[in-house]
Amino acid sequence: MNKKIKTLYIIWYREILIYFRNTAKFFTSIFLPILILVVFGTGFKTMFSVSALGYDFVQFFFPGILGLSVSVMAISSTISAVWDREFGFLKEILVSPTSRSCIILGRILGATTTALIQGALILLIIPYLGIGFNKFLFIKTMLVIFLISYGMAALGIFFVSRLKKMESFSIISQIIFAPMAFLSGAFFPLSNAPSWMVKIANYNPLTYGIDALRWVILSGSLRKEEILIITSHPLLLCVIVLLIFNLVITFFSIRIFNKSIY
Amino acid sequence: MSSLSEKAEQIEENKNNISEVIQVENLKKRYKNVNALDGVSFSVEKGEVFGLLGPNGAGKTTIINILCTLSQLSSGQAYVNGYNINNQSAAVRRSIGLVFQETILDNHLTAEENLYLHAMLYGVSLKEYNQRKRELLKFCELWDKRKMKVETFSGGMRRRLELVRALIHWPQILFLDEPTIGLDPQTRKKIWDYIFTLRKKKNVTIFLTTQYLSEAENCDRIAILDHGTIVAVDSPENLKKMIGEDIIFFRTEDNQLAEKEFQKKFAKYPIKLIGKELRVKVDNGDKFLPVLVKAISPRIISMELRRPTLEDVFLEITGRKIRENNKKIEEETEEKFDLSSLFSIFSPFKKNNE
Repeated sequence: MNKKIKTLYIIWYREILIYFRNTAKFFTSIFLPILILVVFGTGFKTMFSVSALGYDFVQFFFPGILGLSVSVMAISSTISAVWDREFGFLKEILVSPTSRSCIILGRILGATTTALIQGALILLIIPYLGIGFNKFLFIKTMLVIFLISYGMAALGIFFVSRLKKMESFSIISQIIFAPMAFLSGAFFPLSNAPSWMVKIANYNPLTYGIDALRWVILSGSLRKEEILIITSHPLLLCVIVLLIFNLVITFFSIRIFNKSIY
Repeated sequence: MSSLSEKAEQIEENKNNISEVIQVENLKKRYKNVNALDGVSFSVEKGEVFGLLGPNGAGKTTIINILCTLSQLSSGQAYVNGYNINNQSAAVRRSIGLVFQETILDNHLTAEENLYLHAMLYGVSLKEYNQRKRELLKFCELWDKRKMKVETFSGGMRRRLELVRALIHWPQILFLDEPTIGLDPQTRKKIWDYIFTLRKKKNVTIFLTTQYLSEAENCDRIAILDHGTIVAVDSPENLKKMIGEDIIFFRTEDNQLAEKEFQKKFAKYPIKLIGKELRVKVDNGDKFLPVLVKAISPRIISMELRRPTLEDVFLEITGRKIRENNKKIEEETEEKFDLSSLFSIFSPFKKNNE
């Protein structure tokens, strides 16, 4: 058991090392969501007056952007798995006496950690957005971010396990991620969306992730009834769905990885 | 109880004392319709440098991949360090070190970080790691460069670092897949020096593949692999003896007269006039040379003693030169879920080769 944890730690450590060495990626990953939030958010704000909505547009928009950017980060971090396969490093890991499921778990946790770092940095701008926030809420938000990014990282690993080329990755991530992002309620409230869209969104794990983020982040500045308007699921359901999704996708990504070795 | 544990210990000991660290029996590997390996059998003794010689696509890498548990065999039996590669793969992986044909290092990390990650994956304790790191890096003359990123390293330095990495967990057997491919002659010689010193120092068994005949000569024993079967296994000397005699080429001012004189005096050796040179096949070339000089009356212009090389051995056994064959057995596994081919038609991305 101790050995397995060590393997997991080493694989995780490698992912983190590579993440920090890649300074360009590190900065763009933080720059982009802030840009979207400030420019896009401010622009949209002028379209809706506060009185008509009962809440500030940024309060609606911020959790969505946060959820999406940590998801993008988690998924794009799994690119190292394709990288390793294409440049052969996977063989070096596979020939070592390590448990294969630990390799996968280490990878997923590595990608999750990069997403958590990004999430924490984005949360730093919250005081400037007029959203009430404190340390306790910060920890709770980080827990939700962990649930979301773990699931997205595992999903990423699941899809990239069999890819052999880097260029396939950007296509995969767009095909899988773009619909998930648009149907997650991050850009518009699903409560007013047509029923077919809501039906699809209900099968989207990201919908639950972003709802959970809204519940937690806004709990300091909005009343429960107000949050209810912009979310479509209660917090408890969201957390349960995310947990189940994470377990299932972990199982499948370990399976597909083991199958793809030979 | 005690007798039982004693027995277990004895078995363990036997495993450590086995003289044959690699045993391969009738190994077969099929890729789709191609027999990549067609019944390969050989064994490698503890402490020897065993070379697998063959042209591209003969199945050298396939054998290494199977022995290192990276690829599954279709049929046959193989034991590495006394462990069955089919059902004791973890034990096999613990006892081997491997340097791949292509250079595989984490380029954005430093030499030291590359070693650290590897050592930790193999469960080397931190104390042992630090000690071995120092010893091996100094030995391979990389100690001063340990804090540098690998992307700044030259080809030879990378290879040396890979050698260090493969050894940092003290493997019983070191697998080297074409260890000197793509390196300049000087670096190549250096790598070989390291390999031989290592063998002496650590008593590690070395299993390597090569397509350079001059390098195969360095091995204790070589197996010649051709079309997925082993056509000969022996020491380089014995293999060369198999072909037989040394060859002497010489030129004189009067070749006809020299030929006649030779036939009269040394009837048992065949002589033949080839172009402007006379060719003689003899048993013991170096001792025969002075005899020949004295025995022939026309003035000798030039003289050359040629020993059979491994190239001649290869030519004799397979009927062709090693470089002639470049037919590759494609090791392609079936195309799995890869959308890139599907979307390549309308993908705006150009493939960029780094």
